[in-house]
Amino acid sequence: MATYTCQYCRLSSDPTGVSCPNCGAPVDVRAIVSRTGWVQQPPITDLARIQFGQSRLQIEGTQVPVADFDLTADDWIFFSHHVLLWADASAQLAAMDVPSGWSSSNAGMSTMMWRASGPGRVALADNEAGEVIALPLQPAQRTWVREGRFLAANSAVGYDWHDNQIFFETQSPDEPDQQEKHYPLGRYGDIFGAGQVPGLLLLHAPGNTFIRDLAQNETILLQPSALLYRDLTVHVRLFLEYPTTNDFRWRHKHEQRNVWMQARGPGRVAVQSIFTKPESADRIVDYSYGTTIQRW
Amino acid sequence: MERIECQWCQGHSPAGSASCEICGAPLDVRDTVSDSGWRETPRLRDMTEFRFSNSTCQVEGELVPVAELTLGQGDAVYFEHHAMLWKDTQTPITAVNAGGGVKRMLGGMPLMLGKAKGVGRVAFSRDQPGELVVLPLHPGMEVDAREHAFLVASHTVAYSFERIKGLANLLHGGNGMYLDRFVTAGAPGLLILHGYGNVFERMLKPGETILVEPGGFLYKDASVQMNAVKVPIRMQRDPYLAEMVGPGRVGIQSMYVHHSSE
Repeated sequence: MATYTCQYCRLSSDPTGVSCPNCGAPVDVRAIVSRTGWVQQPPITDLARIQFGQSRLQIEGTQVPVADFDLTADDWIFFSHHVLLWADASAQLAAMDVPSGWSSSNAGMSTMMWRASGPGRVALADNEAGEVIALPLQPAQRTWVREGRFLAANSAVGYDWHDNQIFFETQSPDEPDQQEKHYPLGRYGDIFGAGQVPGLLLLHAPGNTFIRDLAQNETILLQPSALLYRDLTVHVRLFLEYPTTNDFRWRHKHEQRNVWMQARGPGRVAVQSIFTKPESADRIVDYSYGTTIQRW
Repeated sequence: MERIECQWCQGHSPAGSASCEICGAPLDVRDTVSDSGWRETPRLRDMTEFRFSNSTCQVEGELVPVAELTLGQGDAVYFEHHAMLWKDTQTPITAVNAGGGVKRMLGGMPLMLGKAKGVGRVAFSRDQPGELVVLPLHPGMEVDAREHAFLVASHTVAYSFERIKGLANLLHGGNGMYLDRFVTAGAPGLLILHGYGNVFERMLKPGETILVEPGGFLYKDASVQMNAVKVPIRMQRDPYLAEMVGPGRVGIQSMYVHHSSE
């Protein structure tokens, strides 16, 4: 049987289907690639089905899509409590048994995780307009995810957290003895990985999602709060850029600066088109190790 | 003349129509029903027009749709005042007491409703991406909607509110203490809701139950019972979900505010 490799989940798939059975991406559409090389992640087609383990899920809706799981008796998923939309009375809901070493209270994950076991149906949705991103994880594959973007994962997926160690400190001219620490990438990131068997990770990305596969040592500057997920082979560090200005007032120079996240390949990065406004415009007096400063 | 039946409102339109004359639902697309039995609310096409009484409604936009009403002589609609987007200068507006007094104020619901009378034009929209849910009501129908979900209703639809029964509902139901109740008596009417995100509807059989996050509940037939049930998940404070018991329709929205954070 002919196969093709889905460019979104990078797995072999069935070209005769309407959508990739592993990630739900449409099969019959041409890739939308910008002139600058970003590939638009196509929204999962309404009512597309995704198979995982012995169970499957269906994506419903287009503005704030719902992930509708049909769980068999041996399967279970875990998710943050606030994304539950509805459940069959037959689905078993329970508080998540926290794995040893799970320090979710320190990380970005919700401290209140639920587990839903089959047989039965359970449906999840986040509360922002955007897209559901399905990331099938192969054995031993791990990925970094921005905190707060996790929607659900099946039982084959393990979770760990990671101190991003990317920060800068600012000093306000009104309070020169006070310094404020900022974590533009979030203080912690979520690390998800599959163990011995493939797993499925679902994210919810506000706005539209774009992916890019960086070559070895290829770099790009990203809005820190737009970074959605990345391969662990992609290294990130802080990049502070000070443009030239004809305004010679010292304070105003700080207000014009850009706080970037520099990503260096090889590997995949994904960005979401909705991001939060940059933090303080006060003078930066300290920053994390490895930060690059560009003054034009 | 050959007629075509709308799968959403069961109204009849002339064969060949692209959209239902009564609710605006596209007639040339198949129903989208999930494997689990939820039916997607028909997405009204930009500039779709439909009629009610002597008036027309045109839907504009798709992300945060606007319902633009051209009111005919003798027609009127009522609405929560902050849902009004624009109006013609000469369209008469009055404020009417919704009843309920202090109880409604405590429940966070408006004491006054706006009322616009024909002849004139007025438009309504909400403040977040979502879908318009057009519910033509036949005489004798009763529909309950979550507070602040209602966008506009025709004057032939009686408006009241329903207290959610049971102490657990009051404390944990997440929909405030009241639901808006819309009732038609002798004449048909039109009710338009705005659901955040995507909207889905399911018809429950008698005695059939489903658990719904209270923040995701949008509307239901009055025949559907809504109870808060504690979900025993072995936590210090077990959460509550809304148990919906048929018969009747239940509508949910996919974007919602979790009741713990409201």
